[in-house]
Amino acid sequence: MPFDPHFIARLIPALLEGAAVTVELAGLTMAICLVWGLLVALAQGVRGPLGWIAGGYIQLVRNTPLLIQLYLVYFGFSMAGFGLSGFASGLLALCAQNGGYVAEIYRGGLQSVSSRQFEAGRALGMRRWTLYTTVILPQVIARVIPPLTNQSIAIIKDTSQVAAIAVMEIMKITEVWVETSANTYDVFLGAALIYLALTSIAGLVGKLTERRLAFAQ
Amino acid sequence: MKEFGPLIHGFWYLLRGAEMTVLMAASAALPATILGVLLSLLHVFGGRLLRAAILGYLFLIRGIPLLVLLTFVYYLMPLTGIDLPPFWGVVLVISLYYAAFISEVFRAGILSLPQAQWDAARSLGMTRGLLLQIVILPQALRLAAPPYVSLCVSLVKATSLVSIVGLWELTMASREVVERTLAPFQIFIGAAAIYFFICYTLALYGRHLERRVLVGH
Repeated sequence: MPFDPHFIARLIPALLEGAAVTVELAGLTMAICLVWGLLVALAQGVRGPLGWIAGGYIQLVRNTPLLIQLYLVYFGFSMAGFGLSGFASGLLALCAQNGGYVAEIYRGGLQSVSSRQFEAGRALGMRRWTLYTTVILPQVIARVIPPLTNQSIAIIKDTSQVAAIAVMEIMKITEVWVETSANTYDVFLGAALIYLALTSIAGLVGKLTERRLAFAQ
Repeated sequence: MKEFGPLIHGFWYLLRGAEMTVLMAASAALPATILGVLLSLLHVFGGRLLRAAILGYLFLIRGIPLLVLLTFVYYLMPLTGIDLPPFWGVVLVISLYYAAFISEVFRAGILSLPQAQWDAARSLGMTRGLLLQIVILPQALRLAAPPYVSLCVSLVKATSLVSIVGLWELTMASREVVERTLAPFQIFIGAAAIYFFICYTLALYGRHLERRVLVGH
């Protein structure tokens, strides 16, 4: 029977427990990808083998499904002798996939900075490190906030796929509760509302950050 | 090379799965594109009520993972007694899902055309239909083509999720081969390679389109 208050009172804490795992997974993925993606984007700009490897990595992860990457890490690694937990496998696959997307976002930001600024910095005798940290990256960061916000929303939604390797996040808990209670509508409505809340919060944080950094434009 | 024996034996089976993946992706992409273009036009030119309805739809789709919707429909169908073949059920969900993103891409294309073009066409006495047909849409579609192709790549990857609700395609086929051969590493790498071939071909076509769009401006 849908909308049974007693059922909902038991359902909410269970879903929130799953939401905590989802938030942890998505938060860690985003934090790691912000750094990893920048490293890959900078490496891709280098001429020679390092640039090719970074470019190949981006194409490889962007053109294969996350689910296959998850299976490869979770089942493949354990077969090869170094098994990872579901959570660790999920985190690794999520970072591998989204790192490629975040790197492309940074690359777009770097390309949007006029090459004259690089030349001017060099003409002033700036070291490469000073040039990047004081001139280039502040502008890049301000410009990549809106696409990064979208990516963080995509990451939150992507975390649902780790249900396939039995990590107890929102999606897996939804499945378990639907299977055991047959109260399909309540459980899915609850899960959908939590995902909507999480993605809305991510969108809002992005908007606020964007406004904060508007000075650099 | 002996380690890759299972992959060589199972490769034909994986290719048959890939055929299903392509069929499913194409069946979903066609209605998604038509609906997406329609939604973008209604979003730009529709009345206030219609626009609010579309915004609500976009909010839901942007915030809820595809996997949640797919499993919802999977559990819903027996409950409601809707007797739709599972293939068309998932194609319906995927196309409704991607229609939202495609509509945003086309809307951005329409809105990025300078105001002067609208004014010029109107001052020539064009009706709205003619204005759309010969001035706005040809340009907007061209501008939207590259991001549209990357959405198609994302759609191909998303079809892997239907294996979680028990449909047979490349990901499901590779899981079956893994269960038989107990060689997850080799088989999932093989599946990833097939996905990469499909998606990278599409992505290259997208890049080709991008270059052509830039030449025109």
